[in-house]
Amino acid sequence: MVKRVYDIIVLFKEYFLLAFYIVLALLLLARNETDQVRAIRSHLLAVAGTLQDVVGVVPNYFTLREENHILREQNLTLTDEINRLREARLENIRLYRLLNLKDRPSLPYLSAHVVGATSQSLRNTITIDRGRKDGVLLNMPVVTADGLAGKVSTISGDYAVVQLLLHKDVRVSARVERSRVNGIIRWTGGRSLQFANVPTSFDVQRGDVIITSEFSSIFPAGIRIGVVSGKRAVPGALFQAVDVTPAVDFERLEEVFVALHTPDSSRVAIDHRP
Amino acid sequence: MPRTVILVALSLVFLLVQTTIIPHLAIVSIVPDLVLIWIVYVAIAYGQVQAMTTGFLLGLLLDVLSSGESMLGLSALTKTLAGFLAGYSYNENKIAQYLSGPQFPLLLIAVSLVHNLLYFLIFLQGSDLRWDETILQFGIPATVYTAAAAVIPMFAFARHYRT
Repeated sequence: MVKRVYDIIVLFKEYFLLAFYIVLALLLLARNETDQVRAIRSHLLAVAGTLQDVVGVVPNYFTLREENHILREQNLTLTDEINRLREARLENIRLYRLLNLKDRPSLPYLSAHVVGATSQSLRNTITIDRGRKDGVLLNMPVVTADGLAGKVSTISGDYAVVQLLLHKDVRVSARVERSRVNGIIRWTGGRSLQFANVPTSFDVQRGDVIITSEFSSIFPAGIRIGVVSGKRAVPGALFQAVDVTPAVDFERLEEVFVALHTPDSSRVAIDHRP
Repeated sequence: MPRTVILVALSLVFLLVQTTIIPHLAIVSIVPDLVLIWIVYVAIAYGQVQAMTTGFLLGLLLDVLSSGESMLGLSALTKTLAGFLAGYSYNENKIAQYLSGPQFPLLLIAVSLVHNLLYFLIFLQGSDLRWDETILQFGIPATVYTAAAAVIPMFAFARHYRT
């Protein structure tokens, strides 16, 4: 009897192995958010991140020359912008004092190198060389000099995975910088984002800058997201479809900054109060 | 060195290349799936069992590296299936012929299409993205890019087997 079972298993070993792997994969899919799975994920990320860190030197070497050129140009532009912003900041402080408004604290940023990326099959994520040991926590915003890039989705001691804005699960409360119209930024495929939930009668123009709004409990307000590249009315719908070109070039991410921002717990508590 | 050790080492190398160098070859966010090319190679050269195991383990590692979306196990599932399907092409007497001929990219197209169809079918559950549009926008271009990339090893094998 045992030999017969053994013979059957050997004869159909491919099918048994396939069934075994499929069941295992489905179990993992079903038990994604358990502590054990999170711990295994964190350990594997630590190993993979270290390896990626080493191999990642290769593409960086090839892009170094071009990156230097871009940085020199940016340096010039930014120096000029800093001078203008310094003036604006001083003016802003004066006005805040005049109006007696609560000032927004500036955020501490932690620089990080991109050591790996996954952009296949709509999984647009990057791996960075900063983790729990550096003070990085889940859901912390990740930015570049150009604007918002994404948020931290998995962490290990030394590494973290960042979900980019070009990801089906990422939603950001946003607003038009000029007209203060609020909406939700989401990705619907392709290279652009969509500024959703904006009624047709609201003032949104091509070229408007979209920034994060105060309504988000994850992202601090005022971070640039992108620029409105087009809008169209959807027949029969209350909302207009607004396309936004992201400020960040997601294909050239090499260095990012983690905003060490954690939501105000008392605000989250009051937001979630029934 | 035992064959298994070499296979595991090469698998890890391809995984690292996929997550570090390949993203720099993206064309409008479409990248070739080097891991899938490797799985199809393993299927042709070593058979179904090795291809499925390679697919499962590499898929799982890919899931870990792009996690955070409650989809751990999805690439493991689809890449196992890819290895299983590609494994039907295994023929001990025709390994050289399949690897150095058009069979390699053609098999890759078929396997990649099934892989992408299943992947997006599960991945897009509960999403605003439409399955048919996503397949047209990402699935098919990714298949074409992957098959085009597979032409390079095909010529390398052709040269290798000629000499």
